[in-house]
Amino acid sequence: MAVFVRELLRDTYRYRELIWALAMKELRVRYKRSVLGFLWALLNPALLMIVLTLVFGTIMRFAIPHYSIFLLSMLLPWTFFSQCLAYSVESIVSNGELIKKVRVAKLVFPTAAVVSNAINFVLSLIPLMILIAIMRFPIHWTWIYLPIPTIALFLFTLGTAFFFATINVFYRDVSHIVQIILSAWFYFSPVIYSLDFIPTKYRWLFHLNPMLYVLNGFRLSVYYGLLPTARSAGMSMACGIGALALGFGIFRRYQNSFVYYV
Amino acid sequence: MTHETSIEFDSVVQRFRRIKDRKDTLREVFAKIRHWRNTYEDFEALKQISFRVSKGEMVGVIGRNGSGKSTILKITAGVYIPTSGSVAVRGTIAPLIELGAGFHHELTGRENILLNGLLLGLSKREVLKRESRIIEFAELGDFIDSPVKQYSSGMYMRLAFAVASEVDPDILIVDEILGVGDAGFRKKCFDRILNFKALGKTILFVSHDMNSISQYCDRAMLIHHGELVMTGDPDAVVARYQKLLVQVAHVTTVPSNVSGVV
Repeated sequence: MAVFVRELLRDTYRYRELIWALAMKELRVRYKRSVLGFLWALLNPALLMIVLTLVFGTIMRFAIPHYSIFLLSMLLPWTFFSQCLAYSVESIVSNGELIKKVRVAKLVFPTAAVVSNAINFVLSLIPLMILIAIMRFPIHWTWIYLPIPTIALFLFTLGTAFFFATINVFYRDVSHIVQIILSAWFYFSPVIYSLDFIPTKYRWLFHLNPMLYVLNGFRLSVYYGLLPTARSAGMSMACGIGALALGFGIFRRYQNSFVYYV
Repeated sequence: MTHETSIEFDSVVQRFRRIKDRKDTLREVFAKIRHWRNTYEDFEALKQISFRVSKGEMVGVIGRNGSGKSTILKITAGVYIPTSGSVAVRGTIAPLIELGAGFHHELTGRENILLNGLLLGLSKREVLKRESRIIEFAELGDFIDSPVKQYSSGMYMRLAFAVASEVDPDILIVDEILGVGDAGFRKKCFDRILNFKALGKTILFVSHDMNSISQYCDRAMLIHHGELVMTGDPDAVVARYQKLLVQVAHVTTVPSNVSGVV
């Protein structure tokens, strides 16, 4: 365990410039040849927020005040997670030609996919701030807690990305299955609803979902102005570290075989 | 010339799993699980290869297509981890195995220089320091800020060679790359390789051009069916190779079951 945590940290540090360059490449390629370019990273979430606010603010009225903030406080981190998986599942296979020709630490590819989406995630917070200002939503002091769930989310996402990127090398079905898993997982996580909506007798089932703990801190601190219990905060970190240990453990074990299967 | 060892292979075996009927999807795995053993066979690309290259030596590797030359280069570069045996490589390596493997078509020449330089193990600062020399060597002029997909194949190869050879490694691996480009550029590439040699760097050189093997290499190795048939004076090894080619040509004209069925 200690060995591969050290290896992960060492290689991430050693290849930091390459990871950053690959992440920037991904963003550049994504926005290349579009008139607005990088602005899309801001516009996309902004437009999504307008749609959501219209739909849930005027058409389908939930009994939740400021529903758009309630929703976005979890939807943005969720979007980061799901985009990361969608990109990273292919990250080893799509760099196969490179892996076959140059000796390169394979962990740079899933990591770069996560980093590029992390940049997108940070940019998507800007329209959220604007929305909060427009709606005169109170700014809670609990926002200072946000770095903790952000770290947990990042670790959890990175671990899941390593896991799916590895499996996809050997079974390409995974890239299709991921989409289904993500949409099922989305409705299973209390993003568009609150866990209070779920009958008490089924709630234990929802508590088996690690994303519940990872996402919880975002909504509590941004929307409710509360801090999670120590147990919940601890669970979110445990899920993040656990997922990373598992995902990177599997990745590390099989990475030397990737070259024969890509 | 010093006799410090630069590359050492000791009884290296590289076994590949040749997939006869590739199971890429889960469905096929389930369908074929009963006939699991029939879907692949192992074959040895390298059979117990041992050799040693001294620092500052330029060694030519010759052999027919599929004899295992590229496998030797890829093991030296660290792309493959051999099935058994040990490999010791002292010093940094620039793998000029397939030029431009890390190029992205949508990025400009300048962006690709950075990305490719980082992939080959340079730091960002080192790449930027070499940037103007790379652009000058590649003779790209204004094209350097255009996406590489607009480059002619000659320009593409020039840029790729320029980046890879600016890495300034201790060991240079050259795989059949000089067949590209016009005569002028080919000479320029060759001059640079010979310059490396003059600086006392180790060069592993694969080519089908027997003249350059005889002319420039200190030593040659003949690889046939994954075995090291002969090593020594380039002229003698080239002569042996030509004899072997004649034999093979003769054998293949005789319709008999010369290839042993496993």
